Amino acid sequence: MVERFVFARIQRIPDSTLRGLAERLARLVLENWFFALVFVLLWRFPYIVADLSGSQVKPSRPTGDSAFWQSEMARALTLACLAMSYNLLFGFSGIVSFGHALFFGAGGYVTFILMGHYDAGLQHKALVLVLLVALGLALFSRLRARALVVVTLSGVLLALLLLPAEGAISFWQAAAVALLLSLIVSLTSGVVTLRVRGIYFAMFTLALAEVFWVLAKSGTFRSYTGAEDGLAFRSLLPPALNVTPTADGSRLTMYHWTVVFFAIIFLAIRRYMSSPVGRVMLAIRDNEERAQTIGYHTLFYKVLTMVFAGAIATLSGLLFMIWATDKIVHPDTLSLAYTVDPLLNTLIGGVGTLTGPVIATLGLHLGETYLRNETFTLGTRVFGLLAVWQIIALAIAGALVGVFRHSLTRLGERLIGAGPRTPRYERLMLAYRGGVFVTLAAVLLLIGGQLRGEAEAVYNVADLWDLFLGALFVVVVMVLPHGIVGTWNRLWATRRLRRLERQMRQEREAAGASKP
Amino acid sequence: MHSYFAHLSPQHRRSWLLVVAYVAVLLTISLADFGANTAGQTMFRGVLLGMLIFLVASGLSLIFGLLDVLNFAQGAFLLIGAYVGYDVYLRVDGSADVRFLAAIISGVVFVALIGAIMEMGLIRPLYARPVFQLVLTFGLGAIFLDLVERYYGADPKQPLAPPSLLNSNFSLFGQSLSYYRLFIIVLGIVMMIGVFLLLNRTRIGIIIRAGVQDPEMVQALGINVWRVFTLVFVLGAGLAALGGIALIPYQGATLGMGNQFLILAIVVIVIGGMGSFEGTAIASIIVGLTRAVAEQLSLAHFNAPVLAETSVLLLMIAVLLVQPNGLFGRGE
Amino acid sequence: MSTAPDNILEVENIHTFIGEFHILEGVSVSVPRGSITVLLGRNGAGKTTTLRSIIGLTPPRSGEIRFNGQPLRGRRPHAIARMGIGYVPEKRIIFRDLTVAQNLQIAERKKGDLAGKTDFIFGLFPDLKRLYHLPGGHLSGGQQQMLAVARALVADNDLLLIDEPSEGLAPVIIEQMMGAIRQLSARTTVLLVEQNFQVASHLAERYVIIEEGVSVHAGLMTDLVHDPELIKTTLGVA
Repeated sequence: MVERFVFARIQRIPDSTLRGLAERLARLVLENWFFALVFVLLWRFPYIVADLSGSQVKPSRPTGDSAFWQSEMARALTLACLAMSYNLLFGFSGIVSFGHALFFGAGGYVTFILMGHYDAGLQHKALVLVLLVALGLALFSRLRARALVVVTLSGVLLALLLLPAEGAISFWQAAAVALLLSLIVSLTSGVVTLRVRGIYFAMFTLALAEVFWVLAKSGTFRSYTGAEDGLAFRSLLPPALNVTPTADGSRLTMYHWTVVFFAIIFLAIRRYMSSPVGRVMLAIRDNEERAQTIGYHTLFYKVLTMVFAGAIATLSGLLFMIWATDKIVHPDTLSLAYTVDPLLNTLIGGVGTLTGPVIATLGLHLGETYLRNETFTLGTRVFGLLAVWQIIALAIAGALVGVFRHSLTRLGERLIGAGPRTPRYERLMLAYRGGVFVTLAAVLLLIGGQLRGEAEAVYNVADLWDLFLGALFVVVVMVLPHGIVGTWNRLWATRRLRRLERQMRQEREAAGASKP
Repeated sequence: MHSYFAHLSPQHRRSWLLVVAYVAVLLTISLADFGANTAGQTMFRGVLLGMLIFLVASGLSLIFGLLDVLNFAQGAFLLIGAYVGYDVYLRVDGSADVRFLAAIISGVVFVALIGAIMEMGLIRPLYARPVFQLVLTFGLGAIFLDLVERYYGADPKQPLAPPSLLNSNFSLFGQSLSYYRLFIIVLGIVMMIGVFLLLNRTRIGIIIRAGVQDPEMVQALGINVWRVFTLVFVLGAGLAALGGIALIPYQGATLGMGNQFLILAIVVIVIGGMGSFEGTAIASIIVGLTRAVAEQLSLAHFNAPVLAETSVLLLMIAVLLVQPNGLFGRGE
Repeated sequence: MSTAPDNILEVENIHTFIGEFHILEGVSVSVPRGSITVLLGRNGAGKTTTLRSIIGLTPPRSGEIRFNGQPLRGRRPHAIARMGIGYVPEKRIIFRDLTVAQNLQIAERKKGDLAGKTDFIFGLFPDLKRLYHLPGGHLSGGQQQMLAVARALVADNDLLLIDEPSEGLAPVIIEQMMGAIRQLSARTTVLLVEQNFQVASHLAERYVIIEEGVSVHAGLMTDLVHDPELIKTTLGVA
């Protein structure tokens, strides 16, 4: 209805070029109304919080809840970008990397080490070293990837051009160098390792990230990295980017830039995946050999995706650190935790879905922030499902459904009738499995209620959050492999398919009836 | 042994040559640089470290070889073994020997139990979805680490005294060394031989080796291959736990030890070739020696102990470049 | 349709899926005790999947399979094999890293299985005696096929499922293999998959034709040989 109204209005525009432009714009917005709405909501988020909590939004020195939630939302958005970049690898391309945190942490480290210790001669030497290593790797690699050499060379040259010959280096130059370095690292490690089996790649990335984590923590480079204490960068940050609530920098502007960054990343990934390159990536994920036999140089596409994902991770890492309240780059940003986090969010939201990782990250991160300070006593139901036993019960129920998967399927087929995998079969089977899971969980919860002892311990939600995430992770992997959004999409697709089938059947019947 | 070398493929024969040459180079470097005594000590430390890595890596390699599951929770198994063993050691009454024995048994059994539950409950339903299996073990590793931290706290545990039997010292290369270190090496060698014999001389070993190639066919012969899978998983988990407990008198127990040894074990598996037991054994020692020599070198020249950490990774990258399937791996 | 008492294996209208793909859409096979029955059909018709469904590697989603009168539904492959079914897969899958001796030992279901059978096996395939301690990977194609068949003979099996025993073998070896199968059929019942119609028609007494996942014809081999029209339309063999 809105559509008809808008287009009727547009038809009245006299100028034809203007009309065409307006039409295209209207179509773009109308087709993406959901995303547009989300964007507007995110944009207005500080004001919404301010209205709800009675605090005030001010460009600088905001107060109370508004300030708090502004930075939490900004951090969640950068983590969502990280999850999206992980999903680009894992969900859309089938590349399992366990070292994604390397790129996430590298952004902050490289930028601020460069800024703090800028020495033109040394940087040039380092870049020449990087260049040599890249060249050596390229020559050694059986692929003799000339493209790699060319890109690396031009990247290093560009980096050299960016660096001032003397004096200090600006934040933007340093960030650009960090991005370039991340491109080079993802490119070289991709070319070297992506051609081997996926499992080697997973191990290689894990080892690589772990080594840089150890390096960042080690006391040997304390003057550069600050070792275990992390790299303090408060003094290095340009005033415009300083989002400390007490500072005069425009915090709200920075928040809006973060939202824009998030939107750009989201749209870029969406565009990438619907482009021909993205289609090839999906083909590679589903069957790499087949994609190869069709004639695609699959390694090229995989490396391209890895470079893209690495760059996004680097940028979102840098943004994440800018929003950190203590203005310190912690070595933990290079640790396993920041690989597990996007992996978890991708899995829970839905592997290979566009919105899944975002929904999961925002939901879990903001949920944790909201509940962080809540406490509850074991056995009481503060949040219904959050007490310890409830978590364990869910995990056990999930594990049981997993263990007896085959016998459950057999039993289920006896109930709903075996047969081809029609949408009806799929739906019934899903409902059946879900029912079994819920029943099991309910029974276990009841038992837990009975077993509740006298000694009641007070627990903090924040303390148990990781455990809750772990249980959620196991449940999702075992019984909900497509994640929340993926399962939802599947249900919708099945419904559409059924409607289509019904339609076709009716048409066929109508055609049959009309014949004599 | 004669027939072993007679049936080697050219690639493996070349790998043997590379290994011998590499060890010779390491030996020469350390002899030239540190002198005979320090070189001997370094080599001893290297072999010791190699044996410890082997205990973790052999489990990883066995599980991967048969089940095609790269168990990223293997480091957590070592961690749990060490912490549970430590806990039991402190709780049990009796002489140090009894307590140590109790620690070993309880730690290994506990971890083996976890391994069994994990394989039967979580890994088994996912054999059709290998990527999820990988992700699951990775996630479980993180969860286990979190649980250990929650239960035992983040503070490192001090090393405990080894059993009295091994608490005396002997002299080697001009240095006084605890018999316990010798014991770890002997333990490693015994485990190496034990697993080798298990794989090559017993019916279960034959089934495992056949299952590595084609589990379906083994099943079709009337063998419950699932039970063998569980057994291998349990064996791997138990070996890792044993490694963890063996580390206690040596360096205590820390939260980081699991991942530290997981990384080393992964490097070993990549170098040795995935699924090859001989490769794992040889690569363990190579990695141990490399690490020890690199440590000694950086101590003597660079004053940067962290370089030792990276040396092993560089070795892995080099092997990946020269031979993507590892030294003793099967071709794709 | 009542089950004839002399049928050792009764496959009734099975439907098997591999992933989302509906491979068998109604296959029925009866194997009389002591006979050699052959499954015929074009490439991809579902012959191999039928054998795999019987041994339980790709369990059918519907339909019934009875072996010696007992339903196999819900049993896992190793349990089905233990009921007395030997399986010789296509592409002669033997264990390359194990010696010939170990390849045979692994098929033992109780101690002494192999010891009692060695003479019989060496009688059928004299080559194996010579190669007894060599790794399986060092054997030639024909020898590997012999080993694969021999492995299925180690345990006391009432039924042998043999998938494409002549595939990729030299004519001389095929002759030898045919002789061996004929000899061992004196002891056990054989259900064979065979592309080579010459071999099939010489070996088998009964045939079942599978076409696009459906069993379309069954009967005595002697009748099929005299029906060139049927052979041509269903098998594409002149």
